[in-house]
Order: sequence, then C-alpha cells, then structure tokens
Amino acid sequence: MKARDPVKVSSKSSPVMGKGVSSRGIWSGTLSFSLVAIPVHLVKAVEPGRVSFRMLHRKDYSPLKTRMFCPEEETIVPPDEIVRGYEIAHDSYILITDEELESVTPERSRTIEIIEFIDAKEIDPIYYDHPYYLVPSKGGEKAYCLLAEAMRQTHRAGLAKFVLSEREHLVVVKSTEGALAVITLHYGEEILPKESISAKEEVEDEEKNHIKKKIRKMMTDFDPEKYADERRKKILTILKSKVKEQAPVEAPEIEEEGRTGPADLVATLRESMRKVKKKR
Amino acid sequence: MEKRAIWKGYINFGNVNVPVNLYAAIKERRIQFHLLHKRDHVRLRQQMVCVFEKKPVPREEQSKGFEVEEGKYIIVDPSEFEQSAFKDNRVIEIHEFIKTEQVDPLFLGRVFHLGPDVNLKGYSALALALKEMDVAGICTWSMRKRHYLGALHASGKMLRLHMLRYADEVIPVKSLDLSEMPLAEKEVKIGIDLINQLTVPFEPQTFENDHQKRLQNLIDKKVHGEKIAILRPKRVKPTAPGKLLWALEASLKKIA
Amino acid sequence: MSRKIVAISGKRLSLSNLEKDLYPSYGFTKAQILEYYRRISKFILPHLKDRALTFKRYPDGVEKDFFFEKRCPSHRPVWVKTAEVRTEDGERKNVCLVNDLETLMWVANLASLELHVPLARASSPETPDCMVFDLDPSDGADILDCARVALILHDLLSELKLANYVKTSGKKGLHVYVPLNSRETTFQETKHFSKAVADIVQKNYPDLVTAKMSKVYRKARVFINWSQNDSSKTMICVYSLRALERPIVSFPLAWNELERLTSEDDPKKLQVMSLDAVGRIENEGELFREVLIKKQRLTRL
Repeated sequence: MKARDPVKVSSKSSPVMGKGVSSRGIWSGTLSFSLVAIPVHLVKAVEPGRVSFRMLHRKDYSPLKTRMFCPEEETIVPPDEIVRGYEIAHDSYILITDEELESVTPERSRTIEIIEFIDAKEIDPIYYDHPYYLVPSKGGEKAYCLLAEAMRQTHRAGLAKFVLSEREHLVVVKSTEGALAVITLHYGEEILPKESISAKEEVEDEEKNHIKKKIRKMMTDFDPEKYADERRKKILTILKSKVKEQAPVEAPEIEEEGRTGPADLVATLRESMRKVKKKR
Repeated sequence: MEKRAIWKGYINFGNVNVPVNLYAAIKERRIQFHLLHKRDHVRLRQQMVCVFEKKPVPREEQSKGFEVEEGKYIIVDPSEFEQSAFKDNRVIEIHEFIKTEQVDPLFLGRVFHLGPDVNLKGYSALALALKEMDVAGICTWSMRKRHYLGALHASGKMLRLHMLRYADEVIPVKSLDLSEMPLAEKEVKIGIDLINQLTVPFEPQTFENDHQKRLQNLIDKKVHGEKIAILRPKRVKPTAPGKLLWALEASLKKIA
Repeated sequence: MSRKIVAISGKRLSLSNLEKDLYPSYGFTKAQILEYYRRISKFILPHLKDRALTFKRYPDGVEKDFFFEKRCPSHRPVWVKTAEVRTEDGERKNVCLVNDLETLMWVANLASLELHVPLARASSPETPDCMVFDLDPSDGADILDCARVALILHDLLSELKLANYVKTSGKKGLHVYVPLNSRETTFQETKHFSKAVADIVQKNYPDLVTAKMSKVYRKARVFINWSQNDSSKTMICVYSLRALERPIVSFPLAWNELERLTSEDDPKKLQVMSLDAVGRIENEGELFREVLIKKQRLTRL
C-alpha cells in the first residue's frame, strides 16, 4: 500500500473533546475511595428500544434535522453563536459560561469519590434514577476488578456525589457481574409524598392468606427476556408489510446549476460514445 | 394535598382484582437554563429544518419516514399505528412473582405511587401480603396506547408500580468486554476491611443537593455584578497498578 | 442460546446465539455467517480497511426488524479501532473501522449481515478512492438490463482509457467501479464526471437508461445513480452478505463472464451464494483487488 496520511485511530484513550466529554463515552475521570483512584470512563447502560423514525420534508423527502432557531432574526443559529442563560425576570437572562459552571463544584466534575458504603439491600428502589456503566481506562483494570470483587463479597454499594452535565447527582456505585454500574439517585426532596391511607383499616388474615397462597403458586425467578415490547412488535409488523407494498422514496440529489462538466470532457465523451455505439 | 391521578387501572391475577389510581412519584427540581443567541440574547427555539434549504419546515410539511435502505424511506402515517394500538383495558396483569431482591436496578424505569380506589380492603391485603413475603409482581399493562412492563411491590402500607425496561434495552455486561484480572487474596481482604470500615446505614434524607445551592449563589452573585472566581476541576492522579496494595494499606491506616 | 468466548490474535471475543437461524427460510445460522466472514476475511478486509463502517443489523434474522448504526457502539471491546469523523452539522462521532479478523467477527456477531462503507477512507473523508456507477433497475427491469448498461459503460470508460470493474450488488443491481487512488481526487470531480457519463449514455440509449432520480422520469429501465459519489453515501462492500431470503453476496464478475451471462438471459445466474464465494475467488482470483491498487486520473482527458 502506498503511504498515506496516518489514520487517527483510537482504541481506548482519546483526546478529550469538550468539558469532560470523551469520544470513548459520556464522561471520563477517576473513581476514588479513600486513597485509591481508578481511571474510568462512563458509558451507557441502557438503550431505548423504540422504533426510530426520521422526519422528512414532505415535498421532496429530504431529511430534516433539529436545529436551534432565533425567532427574532429568523435564522438557524450555529453552535458557536449559542450561549447558556438563566432567566432572572421575564425575557431577562444572566449568562453562565462552561468554566463558571464547572467552578460551582470543581471537586466533583472529574472524580466520583465514594465517601461511604451501604448495604445494597437498604436502598429503596424509588430512589433509582438513571444507570450507567463504568469501564476502566488503561492502568485501572486491576483496581477496578478489586473494587467490584470486594463489593460483591460484602454485598455493599458505594455512595458518592458526582457532577454530570450541569447537575450534581447522588450516585450508587454497584457491583454487577464483575462490572461497576453507576446509578444516579433522586434527592429526597424530589420524591413526592405518598397518599396516606387511614391506619385504622384492619386487614383480615383470611383475605391476606388467600392472596399469599395465590402468590406462592406464581413464584419464579426474574427473567426479563420473557417479555417483549408488544407495541414495538406491532409497529414493526405494519412496517414490514408496508415495505412489501410500497417502493421506498429517496431525496433527490442537489444539482448545481448549469454544470454539465467542462466542455472538453463532454466532447471527449461524445466522441467515445460514437465508437461504442457502433458495437452495441 | 389532593393530587390528580394520572391513570386508573385494575391489578389482576387469578381471581384477585384490586382497582388502583396511579400517581407520579417523582418531581425533579433543578435549575433550568435556556439556550440564547449570543448577539441579542434572544431565547432560541428548537425547530425541524430542511438540511438543503436551511430553513425551518412547518408541521404540515413534515412527513415521518422509516429507513429501509440507506437514504431510502417508506413514508408512514401515524394514524396507521393508531388502528393497531392497544385497547386501554385498564388491566395491570400480573404474570408471576419474584423475590424483590432479584429485581436488577438497571431495569428500573419510571415509578408511580398506586393509591387505593374504593375497595380499600383488597388493596391493603395485597400490600401486606407482598410486604410480608418480600416479593414483587411482574406485570404488563397498556396505557395511552403504549405497552409497558413493570414490577408491583409494597412500600409500607402502600403499593408502588415500577416500570421495567425490556431485556434488549439493557446493555449486557459481557459486551463491555472487561478483562478479568488476577487478584491477590491480601488485596481483596484489605479491600473488604476498608469497605467494612466505611459502611454506614443508608440515610438518603441526609444528602442535600448543595450543588443547586451553590449554583443559585453563583447566579445571585452575577445578578449583583460580582466577580466569579474560576476554579479548575480537581483532578486526582490514578493509582498505578503496582502501588495498589500500598494505597489500600495506607487507606486502612488512615481510617483506623 | 449458546455463548462462546474465543481468542483471536490474543483478543477475547464473546460470541452469542450461534445456533440462531438468521436466514430462516433458507437455513443459515449465526455460526455459518461467522464462518463465511472468517473464510472470506483475507479478501474482504482490504476493502473494509480504514473505512467508517455502517452496520445494518438483523438481530432476529432477515425476516424481522433491522436497524442501521453509524456510530461505533459504546459497548464495543477495547481493541476495536475507531476514528473520529465530523458530520455535516459539525458534530463529531466515533465510527468503527474493521481492520482485522477479530473486529470482523465482532461485527458479524452483532448480526450486522450487511457491511456498508463509504468511497473514502476515514482519515480523508473528502477524498474518494474510486468513482462508482450504481446501476439500479426500475420496476419492470432486472439485473440483465443493468448488465446491458454496465457493458456500455465498460466500453465507454475503456475508450477513455479508464480501467473499470463490475460487481453484483447482491440484490437487483450492479455496481461499476473506476479506481482512482489519488490524493487529489475530490467528490466534486467524481460526481461531475459520473453525471456527465450518465447523461451521455442516457441520451444515446433513452429507452434503456435514465440519469435522473425522480420517479417521474424513470420510465426507462435502468437508473445510473451517479449521486452515490458523495462523502455522505455508502456502498455495500464487495463480498458482503445481503439480507435477502438466501445468503447471496455482493460479488465481482469478469467482463467476459458478464457478457456471456447476459446472452444466456437468466438473471439468477449472475448471483453468487456465500457458500460458493471462497471457491470462486480461489479459482478466478480476487477480481476487485485492482480497485484498491490501480491509480488513475479523471483529469487526464
């Protein structure tokens, strides 16, 4: 092969793109507990299963994209002309830069520091918000495995505070199948109070035991693979039958005005075509 | 405080039938920012724009397409899906029960409080049964034309419904392709000791969202025209693999 | 469903659902798909090398839903090579590069039956390595009509002293490739040239060929899609499987063979099955190799 420009190849660590954003995941930094610091990346743990569609321009089927639009100047605004603001009064804003935002809690934007451990069973599931996985960066594999193993054996999870994209989260660091998962938690103040029932209501043992008997008959182990998103299946069935009936549409190519190619090209082609036509 | 129910349904399994009302359980509180145009501070709107014309396209001119081949789409009309939508029969059908500890938090999605309807007795008996047996009911239901999977469990005297993700929506640990590293018994033991030393009871109410407070502070300062100190994010030096044992021992010493 | 961990060149890869039948009416399992790509790897890898892969995944087989993935999945093994590319909206994304057998196996294991790649390499996304003519039959036309057009193109391009090569798309059409392999080529150049060629063929064979995309114009039988010469477009990689009822592949044909098969008037004979692919390459040689190597210039005219 001839020598060419070297390909920008990255397998693990990559140049940081923006504030804390790495092309290898959502966030990268260190996970620490006491004096041990583990270099890690945060990656997605869940992926929505919805059938995805594309919005197209009705008249010619060109794909549409979401863009930020200035209603006053009536133009699309490119990313470098966009700033972040906080509304202090109607239509009156204070600007906040990325650096200022990071300065709010600088100690927690690049490190997830586990301050304490708790028994994983004590966490009321209502607190769980969004899950991610941590993946060790180069050099951190051993410490990562150690932490996962120690947490597994002790049935404990780590509690930490962590800033991700403008918000600070309380998170649980949990060991799962040899990996570490980070799950953000809701703050206590975000959990709405339950409707309260009159405590005077007595439950009849007979009714309760009848239900328990039914439950016992239906006991099994957790296996999410058993269940499929029925709505998604229906949509895909409809789409499949449409594919059979309908020919797909495509956006037309944008033709640049007036260009049929340089004159000598067209002339050359004409000449060659003449020769070819004699054959076929 | 009277709350409006989002939805009304009937929990069903065998001949057990309990009517319930669904309520939101979480209300996020956070400082909201807006995106503005740099030059005139006008608040920006998100719009669907045509890539070629570079202009926004009004709703009437938008079509929904499903990509069947690269760059080729079949046009779909949302009303086609309406015909096949699930009838909201309001039944929360429980298919099986599992021990609550088996529910993997990675599968947990949105959560609802369930309040009793008129039949309070049936409700309380179910809640108590679930609580005493420490089980959750795996169920499916249709709500607003979509299909959901969930886990029903007791919380105190109340019932709660947690939406579950479908199996293919959770990325398997195996796909992370983590290397299995050999661990020395000594290291694991010290790790365990450390964790034990740092274990406390779970008291979520003690955690405050103080980032919010600090952020509010920053905003107030700016409003008053005060100068903001720019602080660099703290970076911690990763522990070198060879120094792991030393770091663990030092940590243990530090706490003791 | 079975899950196996294999080691390839010292890298661990977890293979899943090997017995799953992904071509149910024909009978072709994930294991067989992996085996096909393993056997053809020596020949297909040079065509995939350093190109941003677009996955087309059929996790439940060819009869069920599929989805495209252009970004390299975040759950990839650490040894999968990636490149950062900029999209037209200025966003950056990470794409997968299939540069070795283990990555090819990983991709196949994700049931990405079809492998689509751009005409340019990831490090120089605006520099096409070749010019293509994507021959697409309209309703009522078939691959034999495409073959007739391909032969005309072949003669015309040969008159212009441009070496050219043809492959089946594995579906209904044919692709004619003109290798260029020069740092100075631009998509603007290849697009204009191919459009000019398409226009002149259309003018001379109006009942057979159209150079216009819109369905309104497509009364003629074969559409010469010159607009594929664009940095945002991809083509099915040679030797890739197609997700049809049978595991047919995109396969190169020698020009004299195409000539012969066209006169035999049986469209099915142009298609090559995965099981026959390796044998054919061993007998006839890797007919698309020159597409990667030959240096030509369009502006020499």
